[in-house]
Amino acid sequence: MIIVLLLVPLLSALLMLLWPRIAPLLALLSAAVSSLFAAKLLLQVNEQGTLQWLLAGWPTGLAISWQADSLSCLLILLCSILQLLVGFYAFATRARDQLSQGFWPLSTLLQLSLTVLWLSRDLFNLYVCLELLGLVAVALVSLSGGKAFKPALNYLLLSLFGSLCYLLGVVLLYAVYGLLDIKGLAQAWQADWLSSCALLLMSLGLMLKAALWPLHAWLPAAHAAAPAPVSALLSALVVKGPLFILCLLWLQLASVQQAQLVAPLFAGAGLAALLFGGWSALRTPFIKNLVAYSTVAQLGYATLALGLMLKFDQPLIFAALWLFVLAHALAKAACFLAVGEMSATLGGKRLTIVKGASQTMPLAMFAFAVAGGSLIGLPPSGGFVAKWALLQGLWLQGELLLWPLALVLATLLSAAYVFRVVVVAFDRADPVAPDFAPQLLPQWLALLPALAVWAMAMFSEPLLLLLRLEA
Amino acid sequence: MSPFWLSYLPVAIILSSLLPGLIIFTLKEQQVKLRISLNLLGVSVKLILVLIMWQAVKAGDIFYFSLPFLPGADLVLQGDALSLLFVVLSSVLWLATTIYAIGYLENSPLRSRFFGYFSLCVSATVGLALSGNLVSFLLFYELLTLATFPLVVHRGTPQSLAAGRRYLAYTLSGGLLLLTGVALLHSVVQSPQFIPGGYVSAVVSEHAMLLKLAFALMIGGLGVKAALLPLHGWLPQAMVAPAPVSALLHAVAVVKAGAFGIIRLVYDVFGVDSMQQLQLAEPLMLLAAATILYGSWRALAQQDIKRRLAYSTISQVSYITVGVAMLGPLAAVGGLVHLVHQGVMKITLFFCAGNYAETLGVHKIRELNGAGRRMPLTSAAFTLAALGMIGIPPSAGFISKWYLGLGAVATDNNLMLMVFVLSGLLNAGYFLPIVYRLWFLPQRGSWPQEQRLSASLETHWMLLLPMLFTALLIILMGLFASTGVSPLSWAQLIVEREFSYD
Repeated sequence: MIIVLLLVPLLSALLMLLWPRIAPLLALLSAAVSSLFAAKLLLQVNEQGTLQWLLAGWPTGLAISWQADSLSCLLILLCSILQLLVGFYAFATRARDQLSQGFWPLSTLLQLSLTVLWLSRDLFNLYVCLELLGLVAVALVSLSGGKAFKPALNYLLLSLFGSLCYLLGVVLLYAVYGLLDIKGLAQAWQADWLSSCALLLMSLGLMLKAALWPLHAWLPAAHAAAPAPVSALLSALVVKGPLFILCLLWLQLASVQQAQLVAPLFAGAGLAALLFGGWSALRTPFIKNLVAYSTVAQLGYATLALGLMLKFDQPLIFAALWLFVLAHALAKAACFLAVGEMSATLGGKRLTIVKGASQTMPLAMFAFAVAGGSLIGLPPSGGFVAKWALLQGLWLQGELLLWPLALVLATLLSAAYVFRVVVVAFDRADPVAPDFAPQLLPQWLALLPALAVWAMAMFSEPLLLLLRLEA
Repeated sequence: MSPFWLSYLPVAIILSSLLPGLIIFTLKEQQVKLRISLNLLGVSVKLILVLIMWQAVKAGDIFYFSLPFLPGADLVLQGDALSLLFVVLSSVLWLATTIYAIGYLENSPLRSRFFGYFSLCVSATVGLALSGNLVSFLLFYELLTLATFPLVVHRGTPQSLAAGRRYLAYTLSGGLLLLTGVALLHSVVQSPQFIPGGYVSAVVSEHAMLLKLAFALMIGGLGVKAALLPLHGWLPQAMVAPAPVSALLHAVAVVKAGAFGIIRLVYDVFGVDSMQQLQLAEPLMLLAAATILYGSWRALAQQDIKRRLAYSTISQVSYITVGVAMLGPLAAVGGLVHLVHQGVMKITLFFCAGNYAETLGVHKIRELNGAGRRMPLTSAAFTLAALGMIGIPPSAGFISKWYLGLGAVATDNNLMLMVFVLSGLLNAGYFLPIVYRLWFLPQRGSWPQEQRLSASLETHWMLLLPMLFTALLIILMGLFASTGVSPLSWAQLIVEREFSYD
């Protein structure tokens, strides 16, 4: 089954290069097949427990080890479903937005690299995924043409620098332990200055790639410059890859003392991201930048949860971390698609273009508002469940005031920037041209993930159970 | 009637307004007849379902419907006596407001959007009334905020957008406070179903501080919608919305949702005993009493009709809170029955204010001179509701104030008695001059913007009928207070069930 999940995207990407005319069809087909198999894998893992592989029949220590636990399976499923959805959106708008043919093979490769990333438990293998992911993402950003080259180049350089930092850390660890397998490393782990150095180097690289505060400066420009489907993929999925590795490193490798030392740093960075990201989203005059800054802010929740998890080692907080990631992925995909659709139909990049959008493009605006509800954490959305789990986890640890207060503040900020858009949309619309006819299908496609993130709340009990067991 | 069917009754009551609302969103502006029929169909189905539930609850049944949601907190809909009080109120007033809104908004733009959100708003209100635990309550409380916002900004003018921003800032912060409070309480005792006598008594001695904190947070959250003293700022500003929306905000949905939440919190979450042990009732009562006086005082100075009514709401809704916080059965009857009476009286007043504005273009109180001759029915209804607000028999307002006064005497609460007297005087002080202007002062010049909306009547029949209906209710509820169908007898039933739990 796992072979199918890898081969289908790989082969279809190759075929697309050979036969570009049917590329969209192949991309959609591959995403659909992957979604099916990802769902099947999730069910299988749920029944039989975690699956493990040692590639190419080598013994432990030499072989690249892969592992499919329920978190990985969930992420693979999310990844392929979003791929399918965004693919449909790109297909529906390809003529109007003049989307480059390069989108199809690149996005399929993106899915491939992410799938391997969620499965891999080998530091060097992860590096390869990370590098591939970065390159594909940069190429996708540059699809927008001339204006996007500068942010794309910026992104490329920083991404390469990040990968190098990460690689350096891996090399250090390999030199000392002679191992790359995370499980093996964790057994042989010694909390000395060398391993701390390696961890810090790797974290630096990963934080740069995941755009965690204070290394986030490249993200808003790059995500705002990309075409709408690409921004959706980048914000929803790509930044989550490095975050996943970061969690692996600190939760599985690092010793308790090391974890305790960095916990406040991560939590502080998360809080700063929430506040500064939210503030920038409130200030920016451009609507896509607003959504991109909101990504910076929302990643702050994940970072904060990681820091708190390191500090308290409470399964509920771990569950909250990944619920934030899942909810944010769905909500952000909806936001970017909706905003992309409005900005393409109404023309312009500024926030003021959505003036009256609740009348001219009600569906897209509704999608944005519904997804925004999850970003704020209004019940009953995925974001609400995540926040609820985090609060419950904190209170179980007797942490009464400080962090809950921070969460409240962050929520208010996110409400402020979401409703900044919504209020403008409820302004009376300027009269539209008589032939004004917004496309309906793309708006529905933007609405789908937004509805999914609210539906996610209905499955919160099994989700919480599943994620708590992974901690 | 099979039990299987009955267990879906709470859901059906919510869906009866939600589904028409969702369909209305998809309608075109010109499909007026279809929209009106959908609206009326929803209202009638809802009223029938509510009637069925009312019969069953009166006989002692309780309805449950639950869906798994969070660990330890399912989504529960519960139809008990208290929830029915609010459900009946909002459904009946929804009927009146719908007809009024159809007349009021005739030929204005964006009606599909308006009526869509209008139905959503009522669905959220009814859901909130029927919710069976704090988490479900929180959910509908937030949905109510989201559903009312588009109505507040409906006119799309800079003023209404500013009011909408302010409304959101207040209510979302309030929702957040409530969320924190609910989550905190959940971490201590989970979120079981509402039950007379509350469910925190087992942990009162162990977690007194946490419980107090959670109570304060939740009152803070509910106080925003109930317009308790420092949190009332959004209400007078939200007056820029169209009259049916003001009626909805003040009488049917938002303000009442806050007050209803306070009732639930005090009786069915904390319970009278725990409230006494934790000494939480006293501060709540003082805060509400301060709000009563402050609202009346500010109302005196307002020159705009709707703004005066808004400050009057701030004051009147706190009567409910005071009645609840006195923790005696008689005061509780007064508070509960005032939830209904205040709603009916206030909605009448807003209908009247809307009629003056629509027909004569009158917005200021000093422009009302002599309006009694031009619009006798509207002015009669206004007078009746104003007298009710002051508490003059035989109107409904007298009944609630009588019981509140009895409750204050029964609990030896002289302070509250003074507050009631003083506020009654203030009420008379800001309502009687309007009544005097209506009937006894000559008209000054021509009306600002007169429209002839009907050939024979003083204004459009759709604007008159709902107003006369609610005005009639004021009298009937007062005259027949001792019969079995009156809100008073229902409030007494609730109090019997709430106070005899052990």
